[in-house]
Amino acid sequence: MPEFPFGKAPFWIMVVALVSGVALLVSSRRDDDQRRPDLVFATFAEQHYKAYLPVVKEFEQSRGVKVQMQLVDSRALESRLQSAIQVGADVPDMVELLTGSLGFFTRGPLEDVGFVDLTDRLKSTGLHDRLVTSRFGVWSSRGRIFALPHDVHPVALAYRKDILDELGIDPARDLTTWADFVRVGREQVTKDLNGDGIIDRYMIDLPSDGGDALPLLLRQRGGGLFDEAGNVTFDNEIAIDTVVWYAQQVEPPTKIAFPAGWGQNLATAMRDGLAVFYFCPDWRTWQFQTDVPSLAGKMHLMPLPAWEPGGRRTSSWGGTGLGITKACKNPELAWDFAMFLYYQKEELGKRFAQTYIIPPLKEAWALPEFQKEIPFYGGQKVGDFYASMAPQVPPEWVNAFTKNAEGKFREAFNNTRVYYAENGDKGLREYATAELKRTADRVRLLMNRNVFLAQSKTELVDRSPDRALGVPPEHNRGAAPPQRSGGTPKPQDGAPTTGGAR
Amino acid sequence: MSTQAPPRPPAPVPAGVTETGVLGRQRYGVTLPPAGDAGGWQLRKRFTPYLFLLPYFLVTAVFFLYPVLYATVLAFYQTNGPHSREYVGIDNFLFVLRDPDFHTALKNTIVYAIFSVFLQLPLSLGLALLLNARNDRLKGFFRLAVFSPHLVGSIFVGVLFGVLFAPRLGLFNRGLQMLSGWGLEQEWLGNPALVMPALIIASLWMYVGFNMIYFLAALQNVDVSLVEAARIDGAGPLQVFWNVTLPQIKPVATFVVVTSTIGSFNLFELPYALLRGSAGPNNAGLTVVFYLYNNAFEAGDLGTGAAVGWLLTAIVLVISLAQIRLSGTGRDQ
Repeated sequence: MPEFPFGKAPFWIMVVALVSGVALLVSSRRDDDQRRPDLVFATFAEQHYKAYLPVVKEFEQSRGVKVQMQLVDSRALESRLQSAIQVGADVPDMVELLTGSLGFFTRGPLEDVGFVDLTDRLKSTGLHDRLVTSRFGVWSSRGRIFALPHDVHPVALAYRKDILDELGIDPARDLTTWADFVRVGREQVTKDLNGDGIIDRYMIDLPSDGGDALPLLLRQRGGGLFDEAGNVTFDNEIAIDTVVWYAQQVEPPTKIAFPAGWGQNLATAMRDGLAVFYFCPDWRTWQFQTDVPSLAGKMHLMPLPAWEPGGRRTSSWGGTGLGITKACKNPELAWDFAMFLYYQKEELGKRFAQTYIIPPLKEAWALPEFQKEIPFYGGQKVGDFYASMAPQVPPEWVNAFTKNAEGKFREAFNNTRVYYAENGDKGLREYATAELKRTADRVRLLMNRNVFLAQSKTELVDRSPDRALGVPPEHNRGAAPPQRSGGTPKPQDGAPTTGGAR
Repeated sequence: MSTQAPPRPPAPVPAGVTETGVLGRQRYGVTLPPAGDAGGWQLRKRFTPYLFLLPYFLVTAVFFLYPVLYATVLAFYQTNGPHSREYVGIDNFLFVLRDPDFHTALKNTIVYAIFSVFLQLPLSLGLALLLNARNDRLKGFFRLAVFSPHLVGSIFVGVLFGVLFAPRLGLFNRGLQMLSGWGLEQEWLGNPALVMPALIIASLWMYVGFNMIYFLAALQNVDVSLVEAARIDGAGPLQVFWNVTLPQIKPVATFVVVTSTIGSFNLFELPYALLRGSAGPNNAGLTVVFYLYNNAFEAGDLGTGAAVGWLLTAIVLVISLAQIRLSGTGRDQ
């Protein structure tokens, strides 16, 4: 046998490389032959994945098709999908997206959006009107809907009922507005119980930097980072009021909030009674029940206090949507699967029992699972409770600059918070007004710089989003009122400022 | 009469190779060809090194050169996916240079880099000196204990310190309260003034041990006879360190300073994990790479991201060259 000209080592390296390559080729061919899935569906939530497993199996049996479900971390899913769509690489047929992420994909002209436009189909099938229409906002761009809402995510307050009972506070009677809430929080709840100079009990868990709570409160009173037409609105009166109010709750001397954080930190704070209330969207009810079983029976849920008597008692926090990518070879099957997965009425009852997440299909709320009393929450009918708030959930409008806007809004808030900590109420409102104006202008500058958005705006004018989405006017009450010129000072007395159009 | 052809003359042996049968043909890691194939051998000899280097060049071309060239082109465009691209000239560079957020990111990064060099490295060197002075069985254990935080990775460190820094409930604040009667309510990650100190503390835990290993390796190569000679001449410990040890570890120290500075300018994962994907209050945790990420991957503007990348490269290059020149490392040799 002639010798390999480059020696033994390169020979064996080459042999190993060749054998590995052939093995890889053969195994991938075998995978292909085993049966290609008819649909590839990616989700990021393990809770969803587990709940979908039996439904997927049922769909496969009834339709004689194969669906491959993939569980991918949300951050990885988002970034991979973004990259794949950017370069036109292979993507799943259907993807569950997190709220806010659609903005990235709708940065350019509508024809460049990597998802199938579902607007006409939603209308023609009548499904549009069977769902909570405000939930389409977060899945829309320029009046076109690119994903189906999985949930409503109304927000309530969860609280330690045993502590409130001890203090003689009845939430239904004493905490109907945020003004009441703050007054009770300052006078009765937030206390140094052992006299060591350290507060041992706070009224509510609020992140000091605003986190998700500040935008949530802004939405509750009809505000938002953007309006339906994509204009920046977080420097309007509603935003100024909300920012000022929030700063007063998280900084001394008027502080009633403790930043408990997430997961075990929040669980410990609630278990120890360090915070009495926390914001609890439907998805958090299940988590908390499993995180702190020792609080069973002591926890209760109540609607958010209103900003004005008779005003909206809920908001929204988070959300998932199901999009069909343009790469999908069988959009009909994908639509069929989406309907089977998301909007099969009977199935939604079972899924609620596993997740406590309110589906947007209104007719499902009458199912017996939604009427079940949950011992952890003192026997409250959790499903019925959240479903009753679902129609009030405000819309949320997103675009490619949502993340920029979130950061800038938070920046303005944090500067205001620091100002309040150093200077108190004097000049606080003027300062907040100026900061919000500065940061909002910054987002406007970024948006104006985007050459693709100029085209998008032309499309927006042509399409009239109101008609396309069919969001009832009551959902937009309070959104972006005309700005007050000159930032007229508003008296501050430590009480929450109110505003907005509700 | 013989019909056999006359024997061919032996093939010329390549320069520097002595032909000694089969063994001779296998010298120098390559197998020489059988006699009579001189032309082919010359050709193969010339191309063999390139053939071995080809995979490296291919990988470099695909994963380094092409992206670098493409990023250069991208920096002059606004993009939106594979189908939409608009030439904007140097607008991306001008925008970044005028952007207050970029100024904040640059300032934060420089502050972090300064602390990395002036706090982290002396600590690393101090620990290395301590470990080098010890000569017992626990030396290996201490070395591993100090180095091990680096093994867990910056995402883990970020998540871990996120819990440690929690107000009231976090171990860090509780420790501070116990030791000094202060700090229980401090919001390290919610207070703009405390975000950078929190980042620096977390990075100290992670990188001090890593840099210590370099210093320890350098210290172990210090010429003991010079140290002993200095001692005999009456030099104290500080004089020995300053005049004998430090000059000998200077090349390694320069390397550590340069790599730490470059690493500091590339800081991303730690603040990203520590601040849960945000840049923290008032962008207090925004670094240049974080800014790049936000522009390129959060907002989808790859062109601006590429422009930031080039600006970062230029900054790091200038600083690294300045450090090397100031330290005089090249001149010593």
